[in-house]
Amino acid sequence: MSTTELAAGSDKARVTRRGIRLSAAGWLGGAIILVYVLVALTGSLWAPYEAAKILTGAPFEGASLAHPFGTDNLGRDVFSRVVLGTRPVLTMTFAATLLAVVAGGLIGVVLGYLRNWVDEVGMRIVDIVISIPTLVLALLIISAVGNSLWLVVVTVAFLFTPRVARVARAATLNVVTNDYISAALARGESTLSICLREILPNITGIMLVEFAIRSAFAIIFIGSLGFLGFGAPPPTPEWGLMINEARANASNSLWPVLAPAAAMAVLVIGINLFADSLSRLIDRQGQNAATEAK
Amino acid sequence: MSKLVLTRLGMALLSLLAVSAIIFWCVELLPGDAAERILGRNATPESLALLREKLNLNLSAGERYFDWLRSLLSGDFGVSLVADRPVLDYISGRIANTALLSGFALLLYIPISIALGIITAIYRGKFADHAISVIVLIFMCLPEFVIGILLISIFAIKLAWLPPLALIGQANSFGELLRLIALPTITIVAAMSAYAVRMMRESLIEVLESSYVLMARLKGLPTWRVLLFHALPNALGPAINITALNVAWMIGGVVVVESVFEFPGIGRLMVDSISHKDVPVILAISMVMTGAYIATNLIADVLVILLNPKLR
Amino acid sequence: MTTSARPLVELKNLSVDYHGDRGWSRAVDDVSLEIANGEALGLAGESGSGKTTVAYALMGERRGASRIGGGQVLFKGREIFGLSPSELTALRGRSIGFVPQNPMASLTPSMKVGGQVAEMLRFHQVAVPQGMSSRVVELLDAVGIPNPAAAAQRYPHELSGGQQQRVAIAMALACRPDLVILDEPTTGLDVTTQKLILELLAQLKRETGVSMLYVSHDLASLSQICERVAVMQKGRLLEVADSRTLFEKPQHDYTRRLIASIPRIDAPPADRLEPLPVNARTPLLEVDGLSVSYARSGFFGFRAPPPGSDTVKSVSFNVGRGETFALIGESGSGKSSIARAVAGLTAPRAGTIRFNGEPLPALARHRSLALRQKIQIIFQNPDSSLNPRKTVRSILARPLRMFGKLDSAEREARVIELLKAVRLDPAYADRRPHQLSGGERQRVAIARALAADPELIICDEILSALDVSVQASIIRLLETLQRERGLTYLFISHDLAVVRWFAREIGVLRQGAFCELGDTETTLSAPSSPYTIQLLDAVPRIGAAPVPPASSP
Repeated sequence: MSTTELAAGSDKARVTRRGIRLSAAGWLGGAIILVYVLVALTGSLWAPYEAAKILTGAPFEGASLAHPFGTDNLGRDVFSRVVLGTRPVLTMTFAATLLAVVAGGLIGVVLGYLRNWVDEVGMRIVDIVISIPTLVLALLIISAVGNSLWLVVVTVAFLFTPRVARVARAATLNVVTNDYISAALARGESTLSICLREILPNITGIMLVEFAIRSAFAIIFIGSLGFLGFGAPPPTPEWGLMINEARANASNSLWPVLAPAAAMAVLVIGINLFADSLSRLIDRQGQNAATEAK
Repeated sequence: MSKLVLTRLGMALLSLLAVSAIIFWCVELLPGDAAERILGRNATPESLALLREKLNLNLSAGERYFDWLRSLLSGDFGVSLVADRPVLDYISGRIANTALLSGFALLLYIPISIALGIITAIYRGKFADHAISVIVLIFMCLPEFVIGILLISIFAIKLAWLPPLALIGQANSFGELLRLIALPTITIVAAMSAYAVRMMRESLIEVLESSYVLMARLKGLPTWRVLLFHALPNALGPAINITALNVAWMIGGVVVVESVFEFPGIGRLMVDSISHKDVPVILAISMVMTGAYIATNLIADVLVILLNPKLR
Repeated sequence: MTTSARPLVELKNLSVDYHGDRGWSRAVDDVSLEIANGEALGLAGESGSGKTTVAYALMGERRGASRIGGGQVLFKGREIFGLSPSELTALRGRSIGFVPQNPMASLTPSMKVGGQVAEMLRFHQVAVPQGMSSRVVELLDAVGIPNPAAAAQRYPHELSGGQQQRVAIAMALACRPDLVILDEPTTGLDVTTQKLILELLAQLKRETGVSMLYVSHDLASLSQICERVAVMQKGRLLEVADSRTLFEKPQHDYTRRLIASIPRIDAPPADRLEPLPVNARTPLLEVDGLSVSYARSGFFGFRAPPPGSDTVKSVSFNVGRGETFALIGESGSGKSSIARAVAGLTAPRAGTIRFNGEPLPALARHRSLALRQKIQIIFQNPDSSLNPRKTVRSILARPLRMFGKLDSAEREARVIELLKAVRLDPAYADRRPHQLSGGERQRVAIARALAADPELIICDEILSALDVSVQASIIRLLETLQRERGLTYLFISHDLAVVRWFAREIGVLRQGAFCELGDTETTLSAPSSPYTIQLLDAVPRIGAAPVPPASSP
């Protein structure tokens, strides 16, 4: 062996095991999300009362064994309504966010990859749509077409898509400047092949985090729409709507306001904790990949 | 540099134009004929035809759009269908109220978010950072209307320190005005600051851990000098962008807060107008809000360009 | 060398630990060193040797999550890590100056250059009888910055890399410190600029008698400026000796290997393979009048770029089959643009390229499968040339799938074969790029190029990001492969010494045009262009005495 080969012998890397390492807060957030999903799926099986059933007890009763969160102005059981409201809230949220992430992701990746006049024009359009305040546009659209669960979903998805597209495009730009993309181009790979094989796997981490963050925004936004009366139609036990209905009588009993508010807040906190931890993990993976083998 | 600014200005005006078209088209979709809505049960075929003529409903949507655009440019916002007053007249008082609320909120928000952002960045990983971050996280996860209702329950109902509704039209003195506007202002500030603190912390940390700040320290410069002259000027750009983002949020979020406190501002007027299908007012308020958003972004962009020697 | 006076710097059994994902690890292990007054000590080592950590420790700076695992750092007899923060601040800049590795990143972007130099004077209470601005201009002039008064009013991004580094040196010396620590100050600079900075440093040392700790992986540069050189590997100090002794009689095996790996412009490497016979048939690659431009004008870049903005100006050359043609140039010379044009990644503005006598379409996606297969490219940066989400196997299998007609069993066999061909353990097939070292990643990149069974391989600065010892082994590998498979190389580089014994023909590029083109041997022994002479001159030669300063540029 020549001396140069010998020297290269010291150029060996150590192999390391890679596991998913979220922080404690991240696990907590994940657990919270899981609990909510379970409640959404199974709630109708074990909630003590139906959502629309009035006068299950006297109006504005306080907390008791029969009514853990008391009753509202129509005597409906707040606990049941909160539990049963989980399904419409989670469905609307995740459906809207999923649509937005898929659509926005596709647009962002294509624009970020092309980087020609299509990209310039596309980004201008994205900027223009973003410049309309979300709430205003949502109110306009929903009042134009009517309150329905799926309309709210589509509207929210439409409003979030350009914002997701921006994030996806930025992530794509980061990936596209790498030489392995040039290597694929030199091989003559098709645009579709490059987007699917080379770009997409490298932005999934960021898009997952974006999904989580957008979900948190979506819950608050949909809640705000419900609060203003532009969300799912009553008597859907949607939390924002419940808070609106309960607001006028807040001096009588705070339970009908606090319970759905807390439900919303805890879910959003859980999602944020999870998203934070996930994004730090992804950052670290990127850093490690660059510095590990030095 | 002026070329850059002019391009931005041009883009802003173009955006405004495009938005006007989008909003007009959206409002066009509102069901029901405006004339029918106004006359209601008193409608006769003749009065309907007369009103339609008066409202130009016989023209095509495109013609009505350009008509409206033309009057906009000459300062005529049309007449409110509900109040039967010139729109500008009708909404200017409201705009002033909302501007007052936003102004107060900004005044409080800027020092709070900058201070907290600096503290959490400098003491990152230590107790102060964790404590502040937890509080900020909680506020960030509460929708504005929840914060508002909670504040009302605690400070207006339980403690009775402040009035629950912000009917500032009834204020007789400046002191009373402040009392009425306090809760909605705090609500907005709490919601906005939460985001801002987190974003500022990130961008400040990036600056604090940069090579040039390290170099400044290795030069043996006192800490205040490093922070004030090497770190801060480079953190201003991101800070301005963050603030612009939050102001943009506020323009939309003010709608919810005004509804909670029944504050007589354009946010609440917007919701009411949509319920009553008062088209000219809807259009006017949408344009005002979007215009404010675009103007904010433009100012932020220009400030960033001015501050960054690389772009000048 | 000083005798009885106390050494300026004493490191006694210094150990530094880093906290990573896997707990504490030792980055510096029991290192003892001394620097005497007026002496320049070179600290040599490859990446991961711990030399940078030692340099920062001398300033009392612990980077990232690290702690002192033991030992002392004494400056003028005082323990650095025992100083209070205000004492440390007083020491830094005043008594110990620091020249950073990357001046663009280390100069504050928002502050004028003159202000950053003036800060040193102001905050260390240096007396400036002639006034602050005059003194700043004097300092900038002393480091050879042209038009120093105007330069002082500029922002860092308005200066060139070389000028930025001169500013950093001016800042470091402004307070006339006893010691200057230099952390790889010439990495990232052009080789001609490198030479000028080295000369400047030698001159300043002579004039001011300042002590130096010069950290670098470039042994040859160290030998020119430092009286003594210390060699570190994996945190340990292997040996210290005065320059001449170190290079003539290295004690340690590693040092010997390191010295042997340094490409020498003046003598062929000891294990050089026999040069191949000249091949007189039609050249494999013919480039004729190639021009490349990156300027875009008009709305959305639709209009043709203005003349005179070409990065590559009508370049012509041929590459014979089975040969190595080296394209040499500094940054901005256009060498990478030519590589990318041949590879089909950039469309030229003008000119033709013929491969095997047939015209080559400009972009890869317009080329036939056969053409794409025969021309392959390897890139400079091992961190970005492999898809981090794929395994090595999948990276190598892709070209096999595209260009070959093998079934999956045959592909698997080929993958193993390829890994062996680049001297990698077949077990690496299951690894991902982040589990490989820089040199190993480059080998995978070479294997990926080989997988297509090409005739021409374009190597775009493939050695620049690697350690010196690794560079030598990669060159050896390329030569072996060339002989085994009859490969042709278009080898892009900025390093004359590396290609001196590796390339048959050479073209020296300057600002987009050839100033020298021909057979390597004759061209370099009797260069016709003054630029080539400048480049040859700038190659650091081991053991050469520090070059006397050239007159101010």
